[in-house]
Amino acid sequence: MKSNGFINNLATKMDKDAGSRKTGLVVSLIASVILFILNLPFASWLVLADPQSMVNSQQLKDEVIATLHMHYSILNIMDFVQRSKIGIIGLFSACLFALCVAADIFFIISAVKIIRNRITDKGLLGLIGTAKVGFILELLLTIGTMILPVFAKHNVHYDLFRPGYAPVVAGIIAVITYFLLKVFEAKEREKYREHGILKEFKKNWVLFLMLVPAFVYLIINNYLPMVGVYFAFTNFNFRDGLYASPYVGFKNFEFFLKADLWHLTKNTLLYNIVFIGLGNILQIFFAILISQVTVKWFKKSSQTLMFMPYFVSYVILKVLVYNLFEYNSGLINGLLTGTGGGKIDFYNTPSYWPYIITFFYMWKGIGYGMVVYLATITGIDTELYEAAKVDGANVFQQIRYITLPHIKPTFIILLLYALGSIMKGQFELFYQMVGNNGVLFGVTDILDTYVYRITTTQPLSIGTGTAAGLYQSLFGLAIVVITNEVVKRKNPDFALF
Amino acid sequence: MDNTKKKVKIGAAGHAMNAIAFILLTLGSVICVLPFIIIVSGSFTDNTTILREGYSLLPRNITLSAYRTIFKAPQDIFQAYKMTFIYTILGTGIGLMVITMTSYVISRNEFKYRNQVSFLIYFTSIFGGGMLPWYLMYANVLGMKGKMFPIWFPALMSPFLVILMRTFIKGSVPDAITESAKIDGAGHVTIFSRIVLPVLGPGLATVGLFLALGYWNDWYRASMFSVNSKTWTLQFYLYDLLNASTAIKQMSQNSSISTKDLPTESVKMAMAVVATGPVLLFYPFVQKYFVSGITVGAVKG
Repeated sequence: MKSNGFINNLATKMDKDAGSRKTGLVVSLIASVILFILNLPFASWLVLADPQSMVNSQQLKDEVIATLHMHYSILNIMDFVQRSKIGIIGLFSACLFALCVAADIFFIISAVKIIRNRITDKGLLGLIGTAKVGFILELLLTIGTMILPVFAKHNVHYDLFRPGYAPVVAGIIAVITYFLLKVFEAKEREKYREHGILKEFKKNWVLFLMLVPAFVYLIINNYLPMVGVYFAFTNFNFRDGLYASPYVGFKNFEFFLKADLWHLTKNTLLYNIVFIGLGNILQIFFAILISQVTVKWFKKSSQTLMFMPYFVSYVILKVLVYNLFEYNSGLINGLLTGTGGGKIDFYNTPSYWPYIITFFYMWKGIGYGMVVYLATITGIDTELYEAAKVDGANVFQQIRYITLPHIKPTFIILLLYALGSIMKGQFELFYQMVGNNGVLFGVTDILDTYVYRITTTQPLSIGTGTAAGLYQSLFGLAIVVITNEVVKRKNPDFALF
Repeated sequence: MDNTKKKVKIGAAGHAMNAIAFILLTLGSVICVLPFIIIVSGSFTDNTTILREGYSLLPRNITLSAYRTIFKAPQDIFQAYKMTFIYTILGTGIGLMVITMTSYVISRNEFKYRNQVSFLIYFTSIFGGGMLPWYLMYANVLGMKGKMFPIWFPALMSPFLVILMRTFIKGSVPDAITESAKIDGAGHVTIFSRIVLPVLGPGLATVGLFLALGYWNDWYRASMFSVNSKTWTLQFYLYDLLNASTAIKQMSQNSSISTKDLPTESVKMAMAVVATGPVLLFYPFVQKYFVSGITVGAVKG
């Protein structure tokens, strides 16, 4: 409480002089720099407490022991985990490492923002918010660093670490700066009539409550599995299990890089680019056609019929494709022999499959995309068309100058959503259509089918599989973020986020 | 509706457009429907005819033997049907509730963190741990392998459906309405159940259809998390049948037909019909809501 009073005094003192609002930010800037430096690998975050027991229990070679340090920071702790082969502290340390990197990123962002003096329509609130996140992360990091020695002792049964001086210093700085920022934030909020999360919670607690089920779902299904990317850096074995398998750094990525990376990336990207591009063109084309039809029953029935493939599961699609392309009983070969041609062995000829797969993707998705675009077209004000008609514009001109510009926003939004899965791309489609037919893998293997195959056939490949998945996720994320930035520059209204 | 105006000025281009539209849409519809016809025909065609002459558009040597074989020993299929119905009803019901509540909250301008929450939801669609950590989460961390939970739970909601619903709510319940209801003393619960829910028909129908479809067509989760055929979905049952493994053997055992006399090809087709039929029958009923329920918007708002 006493220190809080001190901070209050400090803050009011600073507030008195001219341009004082920024004084707080300068303090925060200095704290960010100090913490950033403290996070660097020279500071002592963890000290090896009992090297002898460690060496005995891990049976490390002398040349390995020679490379170990006495002091570790969080940024090089993973190096220790790898060399010492103590797998059980790997996941915990990796989480701390991630926290440390995240805190550093926030320090950099907030420093850049402060130096460039980014003041928005809500004053300094944006700046303060970013800075606050950095200090909270740093605080969590210090707490985690304090817990790690306890956790390690619990698992390896001897004193592995004791906390160094750095977490204590960093923790104190983070707490003080955080509360200082809070005081400034309160003043700033008063000025702009904003409120914090507590007041928002008091006001709209029912809304928060309504979000609980969704968040439970997201945490179980999405956010906790994200922690699992750690397995990409381990050499999974059954003796140690998931949590204690040794940390091996980027070895899995090297393996995966040598294996098929370029080939798989190329396949995945090319297929999805064609899917997205051609798919949208066809969907827009048919949506416009259907909007031109005035005969009601025809409009409705063609819409229904073209939507039908969307309801088909991929398993049924497998049946369909098999019916059409099977060598002996397939319909296409039946027609070919019927017309005097020779049979084609589709299932052993890779060159046909990019076309077959693309065709069936289009076939399955056209009705759905068509309806999405049709919904936009029916929303266009009919008076625009009336006016165009009066001015003598024919149907094609109306489409060119009224319909197409109006579906552009929908197109961009759908495009951005589609880009999110550009690296994942239609696992079920490929898996069901091709299955385990190795002859076709050269042209049909995408990242997802590769991961699925290696992990279902080789139980020890959890590391490689996760590495491939992580690569896929990061690549996809980069594509979306870049595209969104480009769209934002051109027209902020069309950007997804 | 505006026939009179059209008569005034339809022009050569208009006629050409109509002709193109009719031809291409007919062609598109035929291409979309033909494969269904092949499957249905196959299911009614005598098995030896398929093996000898291949599949065809129209059934030859019409017989019901495939369906008779399936329903001779229906316990496995009924089990798969039952499970699929349970997953679909449970998942669609809970999913609709979760999605609607979430979408309502992030559609309200008075909710300060709507953009942050939207982004947290959307972010899961552009970044994830990948297939393996996801699987390990349910199978190892939660220890749910062989249970029903990992088959219905993961498909409860998707970012896209939440955004779809949010766009719909924003369009059909303007902030002014909820604000004036608030001034009249209504709380969020009252507003949500009395004002918002009653106008969500088309949105609920659309999102519900997508959810139900996802459950009905699932084979992937059933294949990942099942340890025996008790938790199989219909589609995975069909998948297994296609790969001619356990299901066929079981079927021949249960129906006391030897495996080699079993009409395997036509049975596969008949199973495909049995597994898809219900969804296709259901669609026309929700179709009228579809166009108005399917508008998409951005993540922020």
